[in-house]
Parts: sequence; structure tokens; C-alpha cells
Amino acid sequence: MRVKSYKKLAAISVITGSVLFSSACSDANSTSGSKKSGDSNTISITFRDGGGTNKGLTDWLNNDIIPEFKKEHPKANIKLSPISASEGDYFAKVALMLKSDQSAPDIVTEDTFMVNSDASAGYLEPLDDKLKGWDEWNQYIDNVKNGVKAQDGKTYGVPFNTDSRGLWYNKELFKKAGLPVPWEPKSWDDILTAARTIKKKDPGVIPLWMNSGKATGEGTSMQTFEMLLYGTKDPLYDEGKGKWIVNSQGLLDTYTFIDTIYKEKLGPNLSQVLNGQGGTIAYTQLMPKGKLAIGLDGIWQAGNYRKDGPAPWPDAFKTLGYTAMPTQNGEEPGQTSMSGGWAFSIPKKSDNKDLSWEFIKFISTKENNLKLLLKENNLSPREDVSKESEYLNLPMFKEATEFLEHTHFRPSVDKYPSVSTVIQSTVEDVVTGKSSPKQAVENYQKNVTRVVGKDKVIER
Amino acid sequence: MKRKSIKLERTLPYIILTVIGVLFLLPLLWVLIASVDPNANSSIKVPTAFTVDNFKSVLTNPVNIRAFIIGLLLSLGQGLLVVLVAGLAAYPLSRYQMKYKKHFMFTILFMTSLPITAVMVPVYQLFIYMKLQDSLWGTMFFLTAAGLPYAIWMLKNFMDAVPLELEESAWIDGASVWQGLKRIVAPLMIPGICTVGIFTFSGSWGNFFVPYILIQSPEKLPASVTIYQFFGNFGMVEYGKLAAFSILYTFPAIVLYIFSQRFMSQGFSLGGASKG
Amino acid sequence: MVSPSTSVGRTSSPHKSNHKKLVTSLLFLLPSWILLLIFFIGPILLTFYFAFTNLSLTGSEAQATQFVGFSNFVNMFQDPNFRISVIKTIVYLLFSAIVGQQILGFILALLMKEKNPAFRRVIGIIVIAGWVTPEIVVAFCWVAFLNDSGTLNMILQQIGLKPVAWLFTFPMTSVIIANIWHGTAFSMLVFQAALDDVPKSIEEAAVVDGASRFQVLYKIVLPMIKGSVVTNMILVTLQTLGVFTLIYAMTGGGPGTSTQTLPIFMYNQAFVNYQLGYGTAISLILLLIGVLVSLLYLKSMKVKV
Repeated sequence: MRVKSYKKLAAISVITGSVLFSSACSDANSTSGSKKSGDSNTISITFRDGGGTNKGLTDWLNNDIIPEFKKEHPKANIKLSPISASEGDYFAKVALMLKSDQSAPDIVTEDTFMVNSDASAGYLEPLDDKLKGWDEWNQYIDNVKNGVKAQDGKTYGVPFNTDSRGLWYNKELFKKAGLPVPWEPKSWDDILTAARTIKKKDPGVIPLWMNSGKATGEGTSMQTFEMLLYGTKDPLYDEGKGKWIVNSQGLLDTYTFIDTIYKEKLGPNLSQVLNGQGGTIAYTQLMPKGKLAIGLDGIWQAGNYRKDGPAPWPDAFKTLGYTAMPTQNGEEPGQTSMSGGWAFSIPKKSDNKDLSWEFIKFISTKENNLKLLLKENNLSPREDVSKESEYLNLPMFKEATEFLEHTHFRPSVDKYPSVSTVIQSTVEDVVTGKSSPKQAVENYQKNVTRVVGKDKVIER
Repeated sequence: MKRKSIKLERTLPYIILTVIGVLFLLPLLWVLIASVDPNANSSIKVPTAFTVDNFKSVLTNPVNIRAFIIGLLLSLGQGLLVVLVAGLAAYPLSRYQMKYKKHFMFTILFMTSLPITAVMVPVYQLFIYMKLQDSLWGTMFFLTAAGLPYAIWMLKNFMDAVPLELEESAWIDGASVWQGLKRIVAPLMIPGICTVGIFTFSGSWGNFFVPYILIQSPEKLPASVTIYQFFGNFGMVEYGKLAAFSILYTFPAIVLYIFSQRFMSQGFSLGGASKG
Repeated sequence: MVSPSTSVGRTSSPHKSNHKKLVTSLLFLLPSWILLLIFFIGPILLTFYFAFTNLSLTGSEAQATQFVGFSNFVNMFQDPNFRISVIKTIVYLLFSAIVGQQILGFILALLMKEKNPAFRRVIGIIVIAGWVTPEIVVAFCWVAFLNDSGTLNMILQQIGLKPVAWLFTFPMTSVIIANIWHGTAFSMLVFQAALDDVPKSIEEAAVVDGASRFQVLYKIVLPMIKGSVVTNMILVTLQTLGVFTLIYAMTGGGPGTSTQTLPIFMYNQAFVNYQLGYGTAISLILLLIGVLVSLLYLKSMKVKV
């Protein structure tokens, strides 16, 4: 028995030992494969790979960009480092990566609201000197350029898309419920009325979908909360005074609207909407199946229904309408929207900034940007691309572009990302009935004050 | 009447145990069935057809294989290191009388109790200072350190139970301390070593938080993180694949458990902690 | 540091001198000391440091981290979410660790004693399967099981009841049950080993003296295995205190703050809200709770080393 056990121990040691040895090898391999090999021809790109709406970007890099770039730079080796994470986790993961020499990629895609924050943290490389020698920069729309400028006045990214938000609605369900088509809501009350009508006439259908949880991250802040708040008289941030508005009628009304939707069961089940994949399910499954009447979301959702999209639906735009989000009580100018977008940035700890810049210039040309936007169904940050007929014919492009006239951008302050997570958790508290709209405002005030400091807040 | 109650007294435990057993089995059953069901959804059902496609598609994806291998290396490497380092430390603690031994053992016992989750932010910062970010070796060392206090404590107690006389006779034959430890003590401690090894392995095999924070490059992520990401991205859609993935992922833990199961009950008498 | 061990003195050991023994001890202890010092003590000391800074994952503080005194703690005690998290943690510990795993594990061990070996084996394997399953897979099993159209709701519908969105209606209960499912085997094995150590003759003698089964259990068996009970309770409590993966994967701490225990709260503040310093302050509280529980452990056990 004793001898047997001993043999067994020997066996275990041999197995684990050999495994450990191969571990050493595999570790060595993966290190040499990474960018830290000192190879000046290798650049790595980090982007979010979440299926759904991010499919376009991945396809574009793989099929349109990398083979072409290699023709011009035969020695170049482009390494894709996609991050599979929910939107909220993606930004934290990127910040974790950018902080260290070991893991910083050479190019990173950032939502423009993170650019300012990550630039202030010293994670990103200012591009002003490089932009000076790049004549195409003139083609970029000024508003979009502002989005990638940090508080120090320097520019830290080259945008590759922008967007606007509005109300998607299913015309057939509207007709069935006796609602007017085309639908042009003039106030929040009009939206509520439509939702209530749908609920009454067609109980199997979800009347209104808006991202409402922490899991949908920035989607909750921007597509839901800010789309409502910027339709009131009180914005998130007082640009003139440089302070956050932490208590206002607008905040209360926004939370109240969200509360009404869930209290009256005009929204989806909590198990659907508080899920990180909620938005994807809403637009790739519920909407095509006629199970969802209205959705407050961005123009890019149109990309789902393309032939090569995640949920091909040839008749999508006969059935779906896209209309502007009204202001609270129809105040001037009658409609509102939010715009953001994503940009390519070069991390400060990248060890191959020159080739990275070459790559960014290459992928940002008129031709390549157009290819991306045709895949993504998003708006272009470039004026010349916006005039291309191929692009103008994108479904709902006309509407989405019109929304840009009265659109808003998120406050360009490095604290925005933290304020945004406060928004997400307070919204989820309201949705789940954990706090009343009034308590939500109180929590918002308390937490935002903690995050930005007492001297940076005002009440209205 | 009396006979009846005796009969009930005999059968009742069986009934209760069967009920508990069924309740424990239900959540697991779904995974088993869904993994071979071509049309799996989230509820348990008799599959209309049988397929191994779910397993095939998980196993033919090189990304998954890589993640599995990395996870195995990480957990096995950590298990081996923990047993080795803790075994060495346990020797003088068990065999010699030292001035500060008591303090040291109390400190060790104390460390056993600290939740690892709590120190992830400082560990991340530390890794940046030490340039260990994104390093599998660094992660393995951290996991090893995290497993050490428990392992030292347990192995010291196991070693106390090995009689000194056997070792002494080896010394008379001219063996060194190291040889005595290797030839006499270690073989007698296999139950303890297995218990500690398995605890350590399954602790880190199932741990996704530590590598999630410390490893950034997608190609270095172990299976625990990839399975989490898989769930996040496709969990609500691809149930069959998720179930297959889960089973494959649980497999090493089961194999290891069966492999050393016969020693486990001895590891569980907690004698070490309660009797000293 | 080393004094002659009494037992070694009388034989011809390979150490001829204390000096040699000291060298051996140091050599053997060194690897563990190095690892513990760098990767265990180091982070804990850093916790004390970072908890008093405004260290941030992004934004200007990430670059210019400052010492902020006690303000993280002042904020924490004013933060209603912190209070909620402490309560959630206590509830989770109480029901998952103490009531659930401990009592269920004991009942299982007790009922399985002296049962048909084949039966005992089958039940044992089923329960242990839950324990061997990695935490993240446990989470999926339960998410699927409790899903709107999951197995549990299917069974409910079969018997004519309405389905329930378990993870949203009873989130805390759900994560507690999942953790019990995952952890009970450990307690069961501990109690099985402890019960096996109770000499049968003592029990039998008590029965002969006319004691009822319950009396035997309460007055004889329980006092004899008291050591294992207390040890197990504290081990299980500490394990449960650190549970992150299971809750994070099942509910992410939500809906709202319903399952936001301290580890989840720490994670959210540090990695979702980017406030690493504040998150570390929460970590410190978590560590202190661990310290308190282990002090309790040491005190109640009168551990000899």
C-alpha cells in the first residue's frame, strides 16, 4: 500500500512537472507573439467584440482594412485584441490595460466620453502634432472634433463614427392599435399615451423598451436618461459655471417618467431589461417578431437587419419607423437627441506610435470610413462621406441626420464616466422599485457630489 | 402501532435523503441533458435528438482549447507550487521547536481567513509596480501565495501525525533531512497532500475574478474568464453550447476529485484545527 | 531561533548542530516567506495605504493620486449603499453559511450515517457534484434553473402554479440557495468525518440507559463534535464572506442593490465607478470583518500549535 502510494505521488509529480514545463513554453510563446517583442512592425488593436452591433467593426478590420494595409506596408503585422465584455466592463478593462506597460495596446477604440477621462489620467497620447500634418482632418465635423478634445485643449482621438438617437416604432403594431402612422409624438405624454394604448389593445406586446439597468452601462445613461433629461429645461452640466446640476426639476421629471413606465408595466420584464444582452435581444429578436412596439435607441440598430447583419430582415424598413424624441412638453425646438461616437486613440504606453498613426490615417480615409459606416449603419464624422449617395441611401439615414440639428453632446469633463455610473445605478433603483423618483434624485445628488467634489455641484 | 413507527423511523431518513438528492440533482440534470440536445433551451426537457455537436463546436474552437490549457497550467502549476512550498515550510514548523513558531502559526491561521476578493485593487497596483501585469507567472505566484496559509496550516498538522521514529531510522542509515522528508514523510502524507492540492486546484480553477483583473491580453485568458465572457455574450442564446462548455470545464475538477477521493475523508476530520 | 528538539536529541540525526538546524529551517521556510511577503502581506499593507487616497482608474486622479485622509470612510458611512451592503452581507452569511450549509450539511451527515452503503454513495455523489462544480458553472446552472422559462418554472407550471422571475423577485434567496447547493458538501464531509470519530459504544451505552435518540444526539454526540462544528462554521463563514464570482455572474449584485454584498460593492466602486481608493476603503472593512471572525475562531477554539 505504502509503495503504491509512493508510486502514485511520483506519477502526480511527473505529470504536474511536465505540465508546468510546457506551461513555461506556452507562456514564452504567447509573450513573443505579443507586441512587446520589440518588433517595430507589429501593432495591436483593442476594441469591443460583443457580437451584435460590433460585428461591423470586426468584419471591416478583418476583410477591408488589414489586407489593404498590408499591401502598402508588407512588413506590418496587425494584431487584433478584441475584448469580450459588456459595454460597462469594456471601459474598465481598457483603463486597466492602458495603465500598464505590459498590456497597453498600440491602438484602442474608445467611446468619446471616455477619451477625456483617459486622457486626463495620462493614458493617451495627444495627437495635435500629428494632426497638423494631416489635411483630411478638415473634413471632420466640428462637433465631433470637440468630443475627442480633453480639458487641456488637446485632441486625443480620431473619431470613426457618430450617431443620434430617436424612437424606433413598429408601424404595423401602431396601425393595429389604432395609433397614427407616421407617428410624431410632441411630448412625453404622447409617448405614454401610445404605450398605454398598445398595452391595452395588444397585451402580448412590450409597449416601450429603453435600456434601464446597470448592465447596459452607458446605453442606459445616454439612450434613456439623457434623452429624457435633455428634453427638460435642465441639462446634466452647467457649461457656463463648470458645475454639475445635482438637483433639478428636470432630474425629478426624468426619474418620474422612468418610474411611470415600469410602474404601469409599459416596459419589458425586469429579467429582460436588466440584462447586459437586453438591448441586443430587443432589436434582434423582439422587434423583428413584432413583440416590441417602441424602442428608444440609436440609429445603429438599423444595422441589425442588413443582409449580413446579426438579424437579417429584408422588410425591416417597411415595418419600422424612426421618429424624433420630443421634448418634455413640446418646448422649443420640439425635439431632442444625444450624439456620441467612437474614436481611435493611441495609448501613451504604446511602443509603436508611428506605425499606429499610419494605420489610423489609413483607416480614416474617406473610402475606408465609408466602408465601415455602410457595415455599421452609423453616422459619419466626415463631411465628405456624408455626401456620398451610397451613404445617403442607408435606411433611416435621413431621419437620423435631421436629429443632429437639435442634438446634444455629453459634458466634456473627465468626471463624466463616474457620473454616468451613478446615473445607471439610480435608474436601476427606480426601475426595480428600490427608490422613488424623489429618493433617486437624493441619491444622485449624494453620489455625484462625492464623485466630483462639493465645489463642483449646484442645485437648481 | 409501535412496529409501524419503527418502520417509519427507518424509512424516513431514506425519504428525506431522496428528496434532498433530487433537489440537488435538478439544476445539474439540465446541464447534462442540454449539452447533448441540438435544440436546448433553458428548461429541462427530453431531447428529441441526440448530438455531440455542442461539444464538437466548443472543442474545435482553438480559442477555447487555448483557454483550457492556460487554465489547467495556471491551476496545476499553482497547486504544485503550493504543495511544494507549504510542504517545505511545514517541515521545520512540525519538527523543530522555534522561538516564534507560535506567533508564526497564528499569523498563518489568521491569513487563512482573509477574503482574497478584498485585496484585488492593491494586488493590481502592486502588479503594475512590479511589471507583472498581464503575466501568467505573476498570476500564478499570487494565487500560490493566496493558497499558502491554508496549505501550511493543514500540512503542518498532517506532518505532526507522521511519527518521528520512521524518519530517525532513515537518518541512522545516513539519509539527510531532505532525503528523509522526500522518502519517508512525503509518501506518508499523501492524503494530506492530495487534500491540500485539490482544495487549491479547485479554488483557482473556478476563480475568474483574479485572472479577470490581472490578465488583459485575450490570448492569455484562462477558461474561467472565457466561459464567463461566453455566457455574457451568447448565454441567453446558445444554451446547448454553454452546457457543453460547462461540462468540459467541470471535467478536470471531477477527475481530480475521483483520483484522490479515497484520501479525502481523512482530510476532512479537521483534526488539525480543533485538536491542535 | 531554534532550540534543540527533545526528541531529536536522543538519536543520531543528520543535524549535528543547532546551527545546521537553523539553516535548514530558514531554507525550508524561505520560499513561503518570500511569496507571502510579496503577494500577501504586501497587498494588505497597500490596502491600508490606498484606502486613504483618491486613487482612480481613470480621470485626472489616476495621474495625480493624493492622500485624502479619512474622507473615503466618511463618505462610506454616509453612503446608504454601504449600509445596504453590510446588511446584505450579514443576511447572506447568516442564511447561506450558518443556517444553510451548516445545518443542511449536518442533517445530511447524520441521516446518512449507517445507511445502505450504495444509497449513501449515490446521495453523497450528487451532493458532492455541486461542490466540485466550479463556481462560475454553478452560477450558470442556477441562472438556467431559475430562468423565466427555466426548469423550476416549468415544474411549477406542470403543477398548475404561475411562473416566477426568481432572480428578480427573490434575488437574495436565489443566490443564497445557489451557494448552499455549492457549499453544503464541504460541511457534510466535515460532519461525516466528525461523526465517524464518535465511539459507537458511548452512544449504545446511552441508549441502554434509556436515552432517546434526540437526547443522545443533543447531550452526547453534539458536545463530542463541538470542535468540528465551530471550526466548520467559521471556515464556511469566511468562505462565504469572500464569495464574489457566484453573485456577480448570477445577478451582478442587482436588481438594484438587492444582492450587493460587500465584495460586489467593492468591485462596483473600484472597477465600475473607477474609484479605486474608495473601493479599497471598502476592502479594508471587508478585511476587518474577516479579522473579527477569525479572532472569534481563535478564541473559541483555544487552538494549540
